[in-house]
Amino acid sequence: MLYLELLIQGIVQGSIYALIALGLTLVYGLLRILHVAHAALFTLGGYIGVIVTNQSGSLVFAMFVAAILVGLVGMAIYKLAYEPLLNQPPFIALIASIALFIASEELFRIGFGPYGISYASQPLTGHLELFAGFRLKYAEILVIGMSIIILSILAYLSVNTRIGVAWRASVTDPSMARAFGVNIQNVRYMNFFIGSALAAIAGVLVALLNNFVEPTMGSVASYKALAIIVLGGLGNIRGTLLASMLLGVIEAFGTIYIGHLIDRDALAFGFLIIVLMIRPQGLLGVK
Amino acid sequence: MLEVSGLSAGYGDLIAVRDFSFSVNQGEILAILGANGAGKSSTLMALMGLVQQKSGSIKIESTDISQLSPEERIGHGISIVPEGRRIFTDLSVFENLIVGGHTVSKSQLAQGVEKVFGYFERLKERSDQLAGSLSGGEQQMLAMARALISEPKLLLVDELSLGLMPKIVDECYAVLKQLNKKGTAIILVEQNTERALAVADYVCILEAGNLGFTGSVADAQKNSNILHSFLGES
Repeated sequence: MLYLELLIQGIVQGSIYALIALGLTLVYGLLRILHVAHAALFTLGGYIGVIVTNQSGSLVFAMFVAAILVGLVGMAIYKLAYEPLLNQPPFIALIASIALFIASEELFRIGFGPYGISYASQPLTGHLELFAGFRLKYAEILVIGMSIIILSILAYLSVNTRIGVAWRASVTDPSMARAFGVNIQNVRYMNFFIGSALAAIAGVLVALLNNFVEPTMGSVASYKALAIIVLGGLGNIRGTLLASMLLGVIEAFGTIYIGHLIDRDALAFGFLIIVLMIRPQGLLGVK
Repeated sequence: MLEVSGLSAGYGDLIAVRDFSFSVNQGEILAILGANGAGKSSTLMALMGLVQQKSGSIKIESTDISQLSPEERIGHGISIVPEGRRIFTDLSVFENLIVGGHTVSKSQLAQGVEKVFGYFERLKERSDQLAGSLSGGEQQMLAMARALISEPKLLLVDELSLGLMPKIVDECYAVLKQLNKKGTAIILVEQNTERALAVADYVCILEAGNLGFTGSVADAQKNSNILHSFLGES
């Protein structure tokens, strides 16, 4: 029973990681930029989720608003921060991204206060008893369900629509995709919108699980997501999803069995180091 | 069909090709020859807008496309089989063809796919296979098929024979000849001089980014000194 509970916890956490890290890997695949500021969009999503839910009483509406608004903010970050730096060495964009992330934490403090906020009335507090002695919180079911639905829709669109195929081609070879008429600028905007919207939804879901959003909520998420995309193989979407789930499960089990030796948040990097020693290109990366 | 006047292009401060002028008419094949680094591939990439054009003009059917982005140029009937194939390795064969026909309608895409499967039957058998898992020859066929989906009026072909078995090269050249008969203009960049001269009508020889010779293939072959001095051929 304990193993099953830990596995479910790991899958819940892995689902959150997948939603956050997918946006990061999308940006890396297309622009070769490590978009550290992505974690700020995760926090922003959490704030919007709590505020809109408190105002409207609808978590679904809040999730929708957070996804749209944060998606637009993601597009603006590309236009204002990254696009002017595309012809510069990649570390310049990385520095800009780190600066944006640090600035965003201060902006959250100024805008929403330093102590964080919670739901006025936390939604989905009940649980479902699957069988004797095994309960699953509604919020956890929502996290897993949302992740499966969203990732399935994205997978379907990327394989079964012409724009989806063009997008995948752009990730493989942007200049050749342009030669065949793919508008790479639109693909980049779409990438930032989708990736940022996913981070926002992850932010709303984490806010729901913890009933709390604070300015530094993205700090841990930022380095975990970076570890995950390296672990999966930089720019590799399937690798990112696999690494997210593995890390979620390893953290869940590791906290119980080796938690006295190593901090939960350090597990990600311990696992990363071990994998990179065996497979330097990451789990599904190509040499 | 294509008129290029005073084309200079390169990468940053490096000029790969200088003041290059040439033209190609419908149904003609122009071979651009030269040693490694002569500027042949850069010329083709500049025509596609993928290498920065420094000066000069590129006109297709009297329309200047110099200022157009790469994605806009394909609408003027130009397409490319690039050096090193550059197929989308993470996509299936069929998905590569979908990208090749990104600008055409759904029905034109379906017709285009049928047509290129007619040229390269092997690709039809491997339609669902990942492009990266194809053999070198099949990848070259796919690169050609992808370029042909949009039914270009002008086809740019870069190093078609490089690293391929002679039998595969023969197959690819046979398709080029068929296209040429139907009126498609072709610019062929080749290291394999013999192959190129066997199919081309005209030839330009580049030397370190500058035009060394231009004329008909017959003229070039009449004067053996030309091929010898520029390309080291006997």
